[in-house]
Amino acid sequence: MQTDTSTESDDTLYVDAISAALADEMRADPDVVLMGQDIAGHGGAFKITRGFLEEFGDQRVRNTPIAESGTIGIAIGSSMLGIKPVVEMQFADFVSCGFNQIVNVAAKMYWRTKHPVPLVIRLPGGGGMGAGAFHSQNIENWFLHTPGLKVVSPAYSGDAYRLLRAAIRDPNPVLYFEHKFLYRRERSPLQTAPIPDRILGESSILRSGTDITTVSWGWMTHRTLEAAEILSQEGIEVEVIDLPVLSPLDHRGIIASVEKTQRAAIIHEATCTGGFGAEIAARICDEAIWSLDAPVRRITYPDSPPPFHKGLEASRIPSPERICSELRQLLEV
Amino acid sequence: MTDQDPDTAHSRKPNPGAPSSAVPVSHVESSPRPVGSRAAFYSLREMHAYMRLAREWDLRFEKMFRTGALSKWYSSVGNEATTVASACAIEAGDSLLTLHRDSGAILRHYLDINALLPGILPQDPAIRKPMGGDSKQRFLRLACQMLGRENGFSSGHERSYHYNLFEEEWGLFHIGMISHLGSMIPVAAGTAFAFQQQGSDRVAINFIGEGATSTGDFHEALNIASVWKLPFILVIENNRWAFSTPTSQQYACDHLADRALGYGIPGVQVDGTDAEAVLSVMQTAVARARAGDGPTLVEAMLGRHRGHSEGDDSLQQVPEQELQQYGEQDPLDLAEKRLIDGGVFSRAWIDEVSERCASLVIDTVDQAMSMPEPDVHQARSIYAD
Ligand SMILES: Cc1ncc(C[n+]2csc(CCOP(=O)(O)OP(=O)(O)O)c2C)c(N)n1
Ligand SMILES: [Mg+2]
Repeated sequence: MQTDTSTESDDTLYVDAISAALADEMRADPDVVLMGQDIAGHGGAFKITRGFLEEFGDQRVRNTPIAESGTIGIAIGSSMLGIKPVVEMQFADFVSCGFNQIVNVAAKMYWRTKHPVPLVIRLPGGGGMGAGAFHSQNIENWFLHTPGLKVVSPAYSGDAYRLLRAAIRDPNPVLYFEHKFLYRRERSPLQTAPIPDRILGESSILRSGTDITTVSWGWMTHRTLEAAEILSQEGIEVEVIDLPVLSPLDHRGIIASVEKTQRAAIIHEATCTGGFGAEIAARICDEAIWSLDAPVRRITYPDSPPPFHKGLEASRIPSPERICSELRQLLEV
Repeated sequence: MTDQDPDTAHSRKPNPGAPSSAVPVSHVESSPRPVGSRAAFYSLREMHAYMRLAREWDLRFEKMFRTGALSKWYSSVGNEATTVASACAIEAGDSLLTLHRDSGAILRHYLDINALLPGILPQDPAIRKPMGGDSKQRFLRLACQMLGRENGFSSGHERSYHYNLFEEEWGLFHIGMISHLGSMIPVAAGTAFAFQQQGSDRVAINFIGEGATSTGDFHEALNIASVWKLPFILVIENNRWAFSTPTSQQYACDHLADRALGYGIPGVQVDGTDAEAVLSVMQTAVARARAGDGPTLVEAMLGRHRGHSEGDDSLQQVPEQELQQYGEQDPLDLAEKRLIDGGVFSRAWIDEVSERCASLVIDTVDQAMSMPEPDVHQARSIYAD
């Protein structure tokens, strides 16, 4: 079990930030219950709930059968009567088996009935580890297209901690995408206070610049920052915007930045067609097209499932080098 | 295709799942009514009043559909014994999850019939206490809900039984359906999970058509509920048809109740036209759930009395003889015959109950018709705040 994190702490691994957020929220609120496959004694596929069974007992840390739809449905029903369930998908990819419960039951419940569904689903997603077509996908857009859901995509430990606690407190269904590649690589301080009790749209400027605005989330924010550093040495100043929350979308920050830089690129690990980059590009065109000096560019995965071979996979995920070269092209327009 | 080929598109083939005599006999729980018991007659009388109210409710809306006053209606006719008796087995504090043919359960759960129709029962309902709160208002709002009025439970945003009603102060926790069949079974089990987690002895009941037992959610939810011993009762309303699909094309087992074996829980098949038999099965299941012993799967055998929805031609798929048989097994006729044969009711009293129920329904629906429509420009939030 991790130590109490109620005080400002030093650098924390992303994976530990998630564990800490769960544990701290479970300590603070006895209605919080975890459900998932192999999360109890085993501590989950990524060991996020290691030690939880001992601290919180098997009533609150529930191993489930392999039944995503059934589990999410049970979580929904219980959340309507006072329980605060946090459901772990073993891998984000498997959420497709629970899709109907999320998009039809949970997402529409408040609109239909005015009865809130305070539910969190944690989704370990993303590639970079040679895990193949069914353990590497970036599927946030399946849910961004559904009104009534909130979608979170932290790139940093601090956001991971703060937003998971906020997601559990939020009275709406929240899909919390945690990036597997960042689990044991990203390390930064936790922001432990104050914890908001709602997920609101957030965009944060991680690096200010005057030449191009980039928008990214999750792992791609780290790669975009690397690219911005390289370009800075060439005299190109990139304004890097991170979206820790994708839905609701805070697009005002993006528009304000694009009005300043007059160029924009969206970088995402998800596939291109119909991806969230298209939505952001459309918003920029709606509200800032007269400020633009170049077309809005999307730098994304190609429209293909994730291949197994690490080299094949790496060639598809936007790299700092590819981001640099595409941003340079944008400046040449 | 030859002249002799019986497999022509429009021939009516017998449905192998249809009743061979009345109801398949092997698993049927028969009526437990001790002959001549006044208490038992009293229970039946109580259920009958609600069954009649439910019947009149549906007849009214069927009629409104025919006159074009309503865009869609799924009839509950024929399901009343199962739905009313099931709702008689629960109490305030329990959760109820219903589908499109469960008006009987809703009316029984929401309403104090004596408050609406004084003297219809000689005393307060005895099988279970009536729900507290304002029955008249609830009934009116229910009618508004059916008609998409502002005062309905969804202010016109959701159709008919696709709504929830929570009145926490009275222990009323009713969750309606979404269209996607099977989807609400896990949600119902989830309410049972909340009860278990909170250490209460509350239970959840949920209905499902025999057609939707083929969905994955049926299996997933029953399996988890069984592993976790959730206080959950799933009632299959087996009316032998799903839209136009007979049971022979829906499942290959003899009895859906037998599936319980695969979950390690009790499964009971019961004559769903017999309110007393259903009540007895449900009371056993509810007691088991309250005691912490887990779920029960109940299969209530019913007849198909109407088309899938009013105005479609799906009833043409049901062989004439089969349909006639269902007509002869009308749950209201059965209850009324028992009450008359037992010397409890006269035919005249039965007629009076029917008339009073019918006029209550007509008055309430008329009143709802005159109530305001929703403001079509109102905004409705997708998020809770
Ligand atoms: C998932 C899903 N698929 C298809 C439908 C369309 N549909 C509505 S009712 C129905 C038949 C339902 O049959 P059954 O479950 O036996 O219930 P019954 O209407 O006979 O009471 C169908 C196919 C639906 N509502 N949901
Ligand atoms: Mg059916």
